[in-house]
Amino acid sequence: MSKFLWIACLLLLVVVGSLTIGVRSLDPAAYWQALTAYDPRDPAHVTLMAIRIPRLVAGLIAGAALGVAGTVMQAVTRNPLADPGILGVNAGAAFALLVGTTLLGRADEAIVALLTFPGAAIASAIVFALGGGLRGDVGPVRLTLAGAALNALLLSLVTAIVLVRQDSLDVFRFWVAGSLTQATTRPLAEMAGVAALGTGFALLIAPRIEALSLGTALSRGLGTRPGRVQAGALVVVTLTTGAAVAVAGPIAFLGLMVPPLARLVAGHNLRGELVVSAMLGATILIFADTLGRLLLAPSEIRAGIMTALIGGPVFLWIARRVRPGASA
Amino acid sequence: MIRRSVLPALLLAAVVASLLIGQVPMSLAMLWQGLVTGEGPGALILDTIRGPRVLTAIGAGAVLGLSGVIFQTLFRNPLAAPDVMGFTSGAGLAIVGAIAFGLTVPMPLVAAAGGLAAAVLVAALAWRRGHRTPPLTLILVGLGVGFFTSALSTFLMTLLPYSEAAEAQRWLTGSLAARDWTHVAQVWGIGVVLVAAALAQAGRLEVLELGHDLAAGLGIRVERARWALSATGVLLAAAGVAVAGPVPFVALMSGPLGVRVTGATGVAARMLSGAGAGALVLLLADLAARAALPGIQLPAGVMTGILGAPYLLWRLSREMERGKL
Repeated sequence: MSKFLWIACLLLLVVVGSLTIGVRSLDPAAYWQALTAYDPRDPAHVTLMAIRIPRLVAGLIAGAALGVAGTVMQAVTRNPLADPGILGVNAGAAFALLVGTTLLGRADEAIVALLTFPGAAIASAIVFALGGGLRGDVGPVRLTLAGAALNALLLSLVTAIVLVRQDSLDVFRFWVAGSLTQATTRPLAEMAGVAALGTGFALLIAPRIEALSLGTALSRGLGTRPGRVQAGALVVVTLTTGAAVAVAGPIAFLGLMVPPLARLVAGHNLRGELVVSAMLGATILIFADTLGRLLLAPSEIRAGIMTALIGGPVFLWIARRVRPGASA
Repeated sequence: MIRRSVLPALLLAAVVASLLIGQVPMSLAMLWQGLVTGEGPGALILDTIRGPRVLTAIGAGAVLGLSGVIFQTLFRNPLAAPDVMGFTSGAGLAIVGAIAFGLTVPMPLVAAAGGLAAAVLVAALAWRRGHRTPPLTLILVGLGVGFFTSALSTFLMTLLPYSEAAEAQRWLTGSLAARDWTHVAQVWGIGVVLVAAALAQAGRLEVLELGHDLAAGLGIRVERARWALSATGVLLAAAGVAVAGPVPFVALMSGPLGVRVTGATGVAARMLSGAGAGALVLLLADLAARAALPGIQLPAGVMTGILGAPYLLWRLSREMERGKL
């Protein structure tokens, strides 16, 4: 239990850091006043309510959702390299978002909220079917390469669309790496609900996913239906990844880093792991975002690039240790 | 004999089609007049736009394809290609870095340094004391190095001013637009030397393919031969990236495609057919990218990505059925 408290303290610490660190330094009293007596003419209040708090909330939602998505993916595929970014699910959601907003010519909250989920669902179905992820007994190379292929395909299509439409490089940059800067234009409340729904569903089916990891035959004997559990896991991945992309764009490698750390804290207990994953995911993403603001101040590094720079070495560290031929 | 002439014939047809099709369509008569007499409107288009473009595509495609054959044979795995293992993204990162920091070093040197650095990094990270590195570990580690170098490239691009970022973006996609005769001289000059070096090592690669113990028994210095072949393969890939950018999947697709068309069995013949297939793939991808949408010139890298990713997925399911993955 004390480990959970430590994680909670860590999360609280980065939340405070994220609220206090920024281009404009704020008076401590301003925080309280902004919440109780909001004055739209006071620049300190506006900074807090219109920039820092939405950004923090977006980080909490996206970080927690991606932590849960990564943990569920790794548990179902028994592959330590599974991550919504590496497997192309992020890319699928962002691709649907980009294509949809381009075709419809509008990018309001409702559209953003509706588009990412079909994209994430199709991409995860494709990558799991082609990568053999649902069989749970394949080596990590195949699933990872299937994700790399899906990512490359979508990247090529996005490049083509951006060039054809003569859109700015910013669209492309959004697609490559997510960020928390556009939080105010995102459907935060709705996506918080969806991410919570996905997390709740994950907690519900967690014991069955654990039974599945004993092997298909044994889990059948225990009364689990593998197909149903896997479909349930795909629903979780779709809901959480879709919500994360809708608020923050594609953020890679977070779902890769979080589950092993969560296992260290929670032990081999999937429900505990999921709770810790949500907290750790939010902690790491908010920390990465704050660090990205500090390193090049007054300019900033996008949170998605920060997580990729941290996550690349983590991927390599894990890749060295898995036995690629055997199921890991 | 007929089968041996299929690949050259396809290549010739692709060259002619690439020269004829474009924003200003050319007739065969114009092409002939331009080629033979060096006069008329055909000659102008050939000399300034399509000639360098087509020759650069052939050169870059051939070196990339040959590089793919070397790695696929050396690691005895059809997935072991320099573009899958992160070498080409390393070369791409070096080029973006050179643009970002305003270096005036020639691009081929920069690309070669980046590709070699990525390859050394992959080898060092995959190496473990007392174990022979399995090829699949190399591929996984290579994928990781590719992810990391791509993230660094994206990071560097965000630091650049807008116009330079757009230039870096074009580089990273892989494009054959606006190539001139210096590009042609570069890729052909370096390419001929490296192709000769690769062919000279074909015999050793043929023995290595039988297995390391057998090769050692036959008097091959295994580690030295592997390093020399890997270095040649990386330099070949870097030579292609230096003029065409890190076009995805050309190296991955070309070797198996070349063998499928020519039916070559010996390593030297497979090298040549892989080079020919690479040239064919890049030429056709560039042609398709130019001609697919009227009035819009897509970079060739977009097309090789759209073609190559489904190939990689298909290849994965094939390897899966054979129980290799």
